Amino acid sequence: MKNVFKKGLWENHPIFKQLLGMCPTLAVTTSAINGLSMGLAIIFVLNFSSGIVSLIRKFIPPQVRIAVYTIIIATFVTLADLFLKAFFPSISKALGPYVPLIVVNCIILGRAEAFSSKNPPKLALLDSLGVSLGFLWGLVLLGSLRELLGAGTIFGIKVLGDFFEKWVVMVLPAGAFLVLGFLVGVINYIERKRR
Amino acid sequence: MKTLRVVLVLTLVSVFSAGTLSFFELLAEKRIAENEKREIEESIFTIVPQTEKIEEVKDYYKLFDKEGDLLGYIFLAEGQGYQGPVKILFGLKPNLEELLGIEIISHQETPGLGAKIDSGEFKQQFRRLRVLPKIEYLKKKPSLPNQIQAITAATVSSRSVVNILNKKIDQIRKEFKKR
Amino acid sequence: MKLIVEVSPHKKADYGIPWLMKEVLIGLAPVILASIIFFRIRAVFLIISCLLGAVISEEVWMRLRKKPSSLRDYSAVITGILLALVLPPKLPLWVGFLGGVISIILGKQVFGGLGQNIFNPALVGRAFLMAAFPVMLTSWVEPFSLDAVTKATPLALWKFSKEFTPLKDLFLGNVAGSLGETSSLAIILGGGYLIMRKIADWRAPLGMFLGMSILSGIFYLVNPLGGSILFHLFSGGALLGMFFMVTDPVTTPVSKLGRFLFGLFCGFLVIILRKFSGLPEGVMYSILIMNGFTPLINRLTKPRPLGR
Repeated sequence: MKNVFKKGLWENHPIFKQLLGMCPTLAVTTSAINGLSMGLAIIFVLNFSSGIVSLIRKFIPPQVRIAVYTIIIATFVTLADLFLKAFFPSISKALGPYVPLIVVNCIILGRAEAFSSKNPPKLALLDSLGVSLGFLWGLVLLGSLRELLGAGTIFGIKVLGDFFEKWVVMVLPAGAFLVLGFLVGVINYIERKRR
Repeated sequence: MKTLRVVLVLTLVSVFSAGTLSFFELLAEKRIAENEKREIEESIFTIVPQTEKIEEVKDYYKLFDKEGDLLGYIFLAEGQGYQGPVKILFGLKPNLEELLGIEIISHQETPGLGAKIDSGEFKQQFRRLRVLPKIEYLKKKPSLPNQIQAITAATVSSRSVVNILNKKIDQIRKEFKKR
Repeated sequence: MKLIVEVSPHKKADYGIPWLMKEVLIGLAPVILASIIFFRIRAVFLIISCLLGAVISEEVWMRLRKKPSSLRDYSAVITGILLALVLPPKLPLWVGFLGGVISIILGKQVFGGLGQNIFNPALVGRAFLMAAFPVMLTSWVEPFSLDAVTKATPLALWKFSKEFTPLKDLFLGNVAGSLGETSSLAIILGGGYLIMRKIADWRAPLGMFLGMSILSGIFYLVNPLGGSILFHLFSGGALLGMFFMVTDPVTTPVSKLGRFLFGLFCGFLVIILRKFSGLPEGVMYSILIMNGFTPLINRLTKPRPLGR
């Protein structure tokens, strides 16, 4: 049981191990707060859609399962989008089109297809919780590193003093690829050391 | 029988989805509209702090002060920047010859470079700027009342702002003359 | 019997990489000298800091990967110097050092070391710095001025204010620009040496020369404000790229025709970027772009056996 939860946090980490969901990972992690908000939005969408898919898994005819998953996912994505627009307009503006784009995020459809459609709700929720929390820490780490180098701050708090010269490239798309590549390398290195 | 089940499940799921969404949309709708309106109003107050009353006319706003005198007009201009569209809200005096100020609503310029078009320092230059014969940008300290200084290493972004404004102002002046 | 298929030459002399790199250093000498004449002590310090960045990171990387030290082959030294030569003189020294580190690590070692890299390491370093510190990488100083009087490069003057710099200044190097790109004379001397000694293949530079001449010539005929052929050749990093970047044996095609084509397209791209992009200079990007096409050019220009 516990293993299902832990898998998504490290062993099958969605970003660093499976390299899934690259679109939000690379595009919105320009700052720690953006990474956090995207992570929270994904926690909401993934857990609700996994739960519901698992609940109705026995009623879904296999021919149209992808369509059903997509409708369910899109429902929760739109809810998350409406919520951000209504209560956090500045974050909604910063994330831009990437909130609606969660619909096509491979992680969410992937979990629905690979896990929650085959397992009871309790297990499905444990799995989705693990994966979405894994996604969250990945996004926050990526966002923090990019914000630190690109703006000298983390969560808007000044970390590096005035002597620090901002590396503009880190908040540009190129910086996302550089930091992601670096982190995947570090995590592979840690993994190899542990064996 | 099989087809019937497919149709039934898909319909049910869609109905559930549509129902949930319309319910929450109804709840959020008002707030979202308010947010958007507040954003525009806040920008207007930044451009002209002494505004008391805003009157919306077709595609622009009229501003009035405490005594009910016309302060000027607010327009929205949009055009191509260095990396994407730039949306600018700007105020014109009633005689249409001088700017009240500008606010950048949205842009996608390079952070740390072109993004400086949204900095106070750059926007400040447009306060009480003459728009006749047209706004000009220099790479050094400006000397005439219709000139601004472009941002170092971001000439393209600065030029875009100036061009967007010039184009829109030209259009406005022609339209107002017709009346 | 085991057959080995490889490109010519099949008879190899006992020269090796260190000898080659030393020859390149001799070729670079006039350019380095010119940079010191024009930008004085700044040039010396910047070259040293780029060198240190490149050499130290190379050594640290090899130690971390538990491989024999590769400092003796001088490739890191060349990369460091080439990087310094394409950077603006006023650059803070730590930025030069960082550029050296990026050139070696991101430009070369992550691909597997010398001979494996896809892109010219020195230019990767510069491209990174350009994206990271765009203001620093586009502020230039007048030559001979120790108190750093800022001045636009000839290409920026041409692009943004339609001013032309006298050809004599462009030829001698009495203009603002990167350390090693200002003096066309010094580059032609050093590059000429490399070509005479057959260290550098003449086909790629010739291709680039033709590419730039053809396109800028056409634009000049249409509108003289587009800049003459000589103006485009002598300004910016065109000559430096022509003699020291497109001749890099690792990141350019192996076949003779391929090298010529590589240079030709580089030349076209340079003029296109100078003319139509937001930036005044395009040598770095055009060479990096063409580096990416190298495998494709190799494939298309593979020598065919006679009769096929």
